[in-house]
Amino acid sequence: MDPILLGCLLCVILPLVAFGLIMIFTWRRPNLSLAISLVASTIPLIIAWTMLFKLWGIKEPLIFTFNWLVSDLVKVPFGFLIDPVSLIMLVIVATISWLIQIYSIGYMGGDPGFGRYYADLSLFAMSMLGLVISSGLLQLYVFWELVGLSSYLLIGFWYEKFSASEAGKKAFVVTRFGDVGFFMGLVFLTIFFGSLDIAGLNAAAASDKMPPWLITTSALLIFCGIAGKSAQFPIHVWLPDAMEGPTPVSALLHSATMVAAGVYLLTRIFPFMAASATAMLIILAIATLTMILSSTIGMVATDIKQVWAYSTVSQLAFMAMGLSAAGLAHGTLFAGYFHLTTHAAFKALLFLCAGAFIHHFGTNNFFVMSKEGGRKLTIPMVTVTIAALALCGIFPMAGFFSKELILGTLAHLDNKIWVLLGLFGAFLTSYYTFRVIFVMLFPRADDHPAWEQYWEEPEPHGHGHGDDAHGHGHGDAHAHDDAHGHGHGGHGDSHGVPWVMSFPLLVLAGFTLVLGFLQTPLETFLLGKSEPHEMSFVLLASAVGVALAGIGMAWLDWGRKTASWQGFIKQIPALETFFIQKWYIDHFWRWFLDTFIYGVFSKWFTYNDRRVVDGGVDAVAFSCIGGGRWLSFIQTAFLQFNLLFMVVVLAAVGIYLLMGR
Amino acid sequence: MTEHLASFPYLSCMLLSPVAGLFILLFLKEEQRTLIRGVSLVSAGMAFALSIYTFVAYDKQLGGLQFVEKYEWVKGFGITYFVGVEGMNAPLLLLTGIVIFTGVLTMWELQDRVKEYFIFQLALVTGVFGVFMSYDLFFFFLFYEIAVVPMYILILIWGSTRKEYAAMKLTLYLMAGSGLIIPGMLLLYSSSGIATFNMVALHAVQFSPWIQKVVFVLLLLGFGVLAAVWPFHTWSPVGHVAAPTAVSMLHAGVLMKLGSFAILRVAMYLCPQGFQYWAEFMGLLAAVGIVYGVFVGLAQTDLKYVIGYSSVSHMGIVGLGLATGTVDGLNGAVFQMFAHGVMTALFFSAVGFIYDRTHTREIHELGGFSKIMPVASAFFITAALCGAGVPGMASFWAELLVLIAAVQVFPVRGLAAIAALVVGALFALRVVQNTFFNKPNPKFVHFEDVSPFLGLPRMILIGFLIFFGIFPQTMVSLIKTSIVPFIKGM
Repeated sequence: MDPILLGCLLCVILPLVAFGLIMIFTWRRPNLSLAISLVASTIPLIIAWTMLFKLWGIKEPLIFTFNWLVSDLVKVPFGFLIDPVSLIMLVIVATISWLIQIYSIGYMGGDPGFGRYYADLSLFAMSMLGLVISSGLLQLYVFWELVGLSSYLLIGFWYEKFSASEAGKKAFVVTRFGDVGFFMGLVFLTIFFGSLDIAGLNAAAASDKMPPWLITTSALLIFCGIAGKSAQFPIHVWLPDAMEGPTPVSALLHSATMVAAGVYLLTRIFPFMAASATAMLIILAIATLTMILSSTIGMVATDIKQVWAYSTVSQLAFMAMGLSAAGLAHGTLFAGYFHLTTHAAFKALLFLCAGAFIHHFGTNNFFVMSKEGGRKLTIPMVTVTIAALALCGIFPMAGFFSKELILGTLAHLDNKIWVLLGLFGAFLTSYYTFRVIFVMLFPRADDHPAWEQYWEEPEPHGHGHGDDAHGHGHGDAHAHDDAHGHGHGGHGDSHGVPWVMSFPLLVLAGFTLVLGFLQTPLETFLLGKSEPHEMSFVLLASAVGVALAGIGMAWLDWGRKTASWQGFIKQIPALETFFIQKWYIDHFWRWFLDTFIYGVFSKWFTYNDRRVVDGGVDAVAFSCIGGGRWLSFIQTAFLQFNLLFMVVVLAAVGIYLLMGR
Repeated sequence: MTEHLASFPYLSCMLLSPVAGLFILLFLKEEQRTLIRGVSLVSAGMAFALSIYTFVAYDKQLGGLQFVEKYEWVKGFGITYFVGVEGMNAPLLLLTGIVIFTGVLTMWELQDRVKEYFIFQLALVTGVFGVFMSYDLFFFFLFYEIAVVPMYILILIWGSTRKEYAAMKLTLYLMAGSGLIIPGMLLLYSSSGIATFNMVALHAVQFSPWIQKVVFVLLLLGFGVLAAVWPFHTWSPVGHVAAPTAVSMLHAGVLMKLGSFAILRVAMYLCPQGFQYWAEFMGLLAAVGIVYGVFVGLAQTDLKYVIGYSSVSHMGIVGLGLATGTVDGLNGAVFQMFAHGVMTALFFSAVGFIYDRTHTREIHELGGFSKIMPVASAFFITAALCGAGVPGMASFWAELLVLIAAVQVFPVRGLAAIAALVVGALFALRVVQNTFFNKPNPKFVHFEDVSPFLGLPRMILIGFLIFFGIFPQTMVSLIKTSIVPFIKGM
């Protein structure tokens, strides 16, 4: 068997086998489960990196296909498509999953569901690895749904908590909402185009063969799926709630894997999607709106994971902006894809650092962390600052290079509003990122009035914990991580973070520092050639300028000695409330669900079922009983009547026979 | 259709092994419970093994009707004992084998009138096997009635929750269905002019269009009652709720498939023009059922009602697939019959275990069950995820085939069915969340989890779901061997 094919198969099968083994046999035994899971994630890691080095510089994609399901019109091949795009993503996914598994040894140690946790992680790894190297869209959809399933299991991992089980359900249902669009798009393509082969769809000939309406419709329908997974407006609402999962899960799902799957799909079929300018423009608009929206919400959250969650939403939107702008301007997918790569490293780092703090202090509120001496945890504090600088796009962090590229792509568009909005988003990003960093770095004196505000108040504020209208009962949401017996009761300030948790931080920090300088080799690998980027000085200056302005603004509000610890947004209470209530989008969906799904359809259909359909049947049955009872009055047991009746009937029959002849 | 005679009467053995078990049980005493269970298990196990054998040994290259046995019965009326296996009934025989075997294991703990219970259950399953393998209209109908009647007694004696009402309702509904089927069948028999009940021979007869139209709608509605076609579905949730666990499994898992299989095997096969005429209508009923089932299910609070309405919706998928009349649609419909059968059997089997202990199925009373019985809960959750259409499970592929075919033939109905998938997911996960997640109810914390022996039947069911979820081609390539000639013959 071809070694590449064998490698691909192992990447998919090993984690699946690990999931099965743990779920059936070893889930009660933590160490054995951990061992199985680690073996099943280390081998794909080695395979992925080996393939990347072996195949560095390949020109022609390697395709392996087999029949999975052959009906008639519906043919689902099972296969692998190995090209630069999938290779890089394969390495990212394998690496991040492996690091998360290492990190979780420390974070989840002592949890009663340890075995199940590693089983779910293995299932997730399998789905994600399979998604990345799928050769056809329908196969990709299968793994896509499996990603949804495993994220449901992981987000709702602490299922005893209402907020967690609710968040898991919400994530699954909301992404499924998008996936229905995706599926419809696939059905259209199957019926009108006949093939869902990725390489075939991307070929230039494919878009010539299809009528424009079909490309636009199916591109937009597929984008519904992308919007669901990558949390774009208006179905981004599941992502912030998904922070209810254990923090390593958030790092896994919301940096390089699940949410990135949406953007990855956009990259994967980029030539096909880019064939429709209308679709690209709509995607650009949605992405821009999402970016601004999530950045503004990130400004007011007090839960460190919520801030990173909204920053994830905005960065994904930023990637989508880069890709759709490239599609409009006939550019390449490199800008968006490169940002996906760098974002994977620094966002995973941000979440894992947050996890280190949460694990140590037993709270998600970064004001509390600051008060308790968060900055004393040296490794997390240094690495979180590196990651934050990368998120803001400061040289020499990886984020600088990739954000620059996206802004450059946006600047190529004729309409300059997009690049301006992109810059505005970058400004907000820097502001809310450094709000967290400055608060953590420079705690105030114990008697500072700000403590009162942020220590006690987050609950009534409802900051970033899903809105209160959901009736989620977030009562225990804040302290949930220590409610689950991580065994960090014994962690004093004396010893910091265990090495299994700090090792992944250092690795990711290394990637964050190095990845930016790999821009040219990566571009050569992906596109086959590296185009010189004529970087306009104005754009460079303004990009760095807005980032620094955002940091400066954060310094004024949160950093300097005399800072009030009030965001500038406090000046406009109406706007602040609007942001805290997350633009009322969660309210809208709750209202929609309650009013239409439960209130109208479910209620009235049930009423109809009970009263009309079933009631009708019962009415027939009861009227039969009633009719029988009524007829029984004829049975009077008077012999005379019975004889008379007999004679009458006989006479009638006789007359009929006589007259009929 | 080419017929290949059997070298050994596998099918008759499959049919007779429950009958043999039943007769042995007649001579046992009620006190000999272990023996009674053992005999039932062996007879069910033999049928199960034979159904696996016919599924695996069916020669896909050869095609046609295999393992055929044909004996004259009543020559004057043209009644023959004519059984065989082809691509479309092999999965359903396998399904019956799976469900009866796991059903006997599921009822292992039964204490009340054990002997009578297993006698009736084996009688019921004999009828089911008979329907799936008969190619003679008379025997088809005979077995059909054999399968329906024991249900009444099983629900009435071993049932719960308004059992008299449910048993009566179910029986009346099904009898009303039979009341439509008999005239339809006799009309075909009398107008064929060849005085035979042999379906293969009847298929060759060109019935006049109006007869086909009349007969088709009679059979569609008559069999449709058993397939819980909307709006004749209300007996099914009530019946599921009242029936004891293994009867619910057989009932939802297999009996409802008798209806849809009969629509395919008898109505569509013998009256193709009638089908063309009524296809739109059939698709409409099915699509309404799909959407309607999930919305009504969303409002239910009893676990078995929830499953009952999910069955209405999933059987709608079968109906929609049949209505398309395309190879993909029919492949999907038959696959869905199998997948839904295994899935619902798992559903009821899991609920039965919980109900036997807690004596409640009210969702809000349960709560947090994963903490108390992680394994038993995992079984239900697996079934629920399968119902929500998660890939890796057999029903995903079945739904995929049907939905693609449906969009092609009836775009609006197909898209509505796809949109219902979201509500389907919401519906399944809402139940899972409220029953198994959150804080456990302190009333139930002392219960023990499922033992490995009682876990076995559930594991078998999950195993089949996942096997055909990962290797769908093993199923589809078999079904296709009979669907392709079937469509050509229409």
